[in-house]
Amino acid sequence: MPVTLVDRLPLPNLKVYTAGSVSLLSIAVYYALSVTSDPNWRANSTLARQDSIESGQGEQRSIPDQLQPNSTRNVSEQFVDVITFMMQEPLCMWTLINIAYCSLAVFGFAVQRLVFGPLRVAEAQRVKDKFWNYVFYKFIFVFGVINVQYMDEVLLWCSWFTLVGFLHLLGQLCKDRYEYLSSSPHSGGWAHVRLACLLAGILAAAAALLAAAAVWGLPAGRDTFAFMAAECVLVLVGALHVAARYALALCAADAAGAAAYYVALGFEAAALLAELALAAAQVAQCSMLVSMASLVLLLQLRHLLHELQARLRRHRLYTALATHMSRNYPMASKEEVEKNQDNCAICWEPMKEARKLPCSHLFHNSCLCQWVQQDASCPTCRRALAAGPAAPRQDAARHPNHLFHFDGSRYVSWLPSFSVEVTRVRPEAALAGAQLDAAAAQLQLMFPQHSRAALAADLARTRSADLTLDNILEGRLPPAAPPRPAPPPPRPAPARADAATMAAATPADPADGAGRFSRCAAEREAQLRRRKQQLVEAARRRYLARLAPRS
Amino acid sequence: MAGSALRRLMAEYKQLTINPPEGIIAGPINEENFFEWEALITGPEGTCFEGGIFPAKLHFPPDYPLSPPKMEFTCEMFHPNIYADGRVCISILHAPGDDPMGYESSAERWSPVQSVEKILLSVVSMLAEPNDESGANVDAAKMWREDREQFNKIAEKLVRKTLSLE
Repeated sequence: MPVTLVDRLPLPNLKVYTAGSVSLLSIAVYYALSVTSDPNWRANSTLARQDSIESGQGEQRSIPDQLQPNSTRNVSEQFVDVITFMMQEPLCMWTLINIAYCSLAVFGFAVQRLVFGPLRVAEAQRVKDKFWNYVFYKFIFVFGVINVQYMDEVLLWCSWFTLVGFLHLLGQLCKDRYEYLSSSPHSGGWAHVRLACLLAGILAAAAALLAAAAVWGLPAGRDTFAFMAAECVLVLVGALHVAARYALALCAADAAGAAAYYVALGFEAAALLAELALAAAQVAQCSMLVSMASLVLLLQLRHLLHELQARLRRHRLYTALATHMSRNYPMASKEEVEKNQDNCAICWEPMKEARKLPCSHLFHNSCLCQWVQQDASCPTCRRALAAGPAAPRQDAARHPNHLFHFDGSRYVSWLPSFSVEVTRVRPEAALAGAQLDAAAAQLQLMFPQHSRAALAADLARTRSADLTLDNILEGRLPPAAPPRPAPPPPRPAPARADAATMAAATPADPADGAGRFSRCAAEREAQLRRRKQQLVEAARRRYLARLAPRS
Repeated sequence: MAGSALRRLMAEYKQLTINPPEGIIAGPINEENFFEWEALITGPEGTCFEGGIFPAKLHFPPDYPLSPPKMEFTCEMFHPNIYADGRVCISILHAPGDDPMGYESSAERWSPVQSVEKILLSVVSMLAEPNDESGANVDAAKMWREDREQFNKIAEKLVRKTLSLE
């Protein structure tokens, strides 16, 4: 709800806001000037001064006249006076704060125009979500955790979080844009240069903020410093991660290689740990243990811990997988790779060296590694890579776990999501002994042409009746000799069959524009549009022709 | 990661352009964003969707082809395996890990050797033979089972709509 509300609020655009802020500032400055033109303004208390302004012009005019000799102050003195006055006068102070925010907004807008150009929808949405999420947590931090009592403190924290949040948002934009640039087919070199410059700027600013935290935060206490520093560290880690990916890409490292993997792991873990430490420190700092703030923070802590665990689990899986792969599936020999004319079925690119699975399908090592992390089977024939270390994921899916999931983003896009999972760890649900015999007997009833022993052997290998069933159905487990006249036919791929019948049924249209793949993107786009139009028109003609004899 | 996805998508686009399957056109809407495609699918002959040209969007994840793309029809659809908002529910589009309906064997699910062409051909065969066990659109599934005539009428109307004849 609140987000739609924000969308609907008549928020002024940047131009109106800037104009308003500047005019407010000029009014404030004019007011300050007129007050401080009286050299003795310090002597008047705020109340007295206001009285004098309200009571009439005549009195005011008379004061400078009386004090004419003293009023030969130079410009710099008067400037200092104006500033001190504005700092003391609450209304002027707020104007100053407003103008600071305004210039930050203008600066951010300028950076966005210079570096990013128009934002893509996804980027804008991501920034918006991050912004509201950030505001939400910082609000809780300021009012729930450190429980500030004075307006000054609130202001100080607000300005600090504004600066850090600004860097956070820029960092997020950099990350999104880097991912976009690295994935778009034709990205200009300048875009990369500008992005790299901005990254350097963010890094420098974050380092400067860290130094500022050390200078001003340390005297205020270790906790204050820790909170301030943690924010800077988070920005630094995020920006460094993008920078490191840049460096890796420049070194032309394999995107799926070990170096890239460990860099990603290191930065992700560092970011999670920093966030975790921050959340833990906040919980510890909470004055009341049972409060809304601590509840929210505890849930965040739970979520972060879960993320970290998941990341570490993925890493363990990765290392186990890497060793498992290199031990069990040897690299294909030179002759085998040469004999194999096909490209790697995962990335569709030619193979210079390849890993060979037991089903003798060849893939790039890195492609295969990435896939097996998701599913321990051969991508081509689906044969399970038995005893693969990726099995836990399937097991986990089978166990009846209780998952409580609060998806905040369903209500408001920036609300955090939490999930609490109760995992019941069961011993390996392997078929063994009597169970295995029973399953084999059952399967044999369904497939009498298979021998009980063969079924039992396959069951012992797959450890699951379902997998063995798949093996039988897909012909990987051949029936015992002599085979029955009609062995179970392997399931036909329905898509293929239908495509064939469809192709046979429809007389081939002259496929205009097809058969040629232009090198130029604009030409390709135009060609695609043309082809679509032709298809629709041809279909319309056919439809009307078919309708004509009927009517 | 995204670089390899991009190269693979480019290769698929090339293949689909040079050697397109009958009645199917697919490609990125705007090459600035290669992860968003539009596809046109001709309704299979001899079915109630015959003659229609059904537009659909394909969203590819950055780790394509390790994860399947998402597909949704952008025209109005009424089919047991298509949600009311146009999302397509077929097993080839489901990653091996998740099984929302709990009835698919992993052999039918996504694997990186699948491709846009195979997905679209599967969708064509899904249009021809709905799987009324999966309840993406319960009303449509019920009507498909119990009142085929009415279903055909609705389908005919949709076909006319896609050809902007209505």
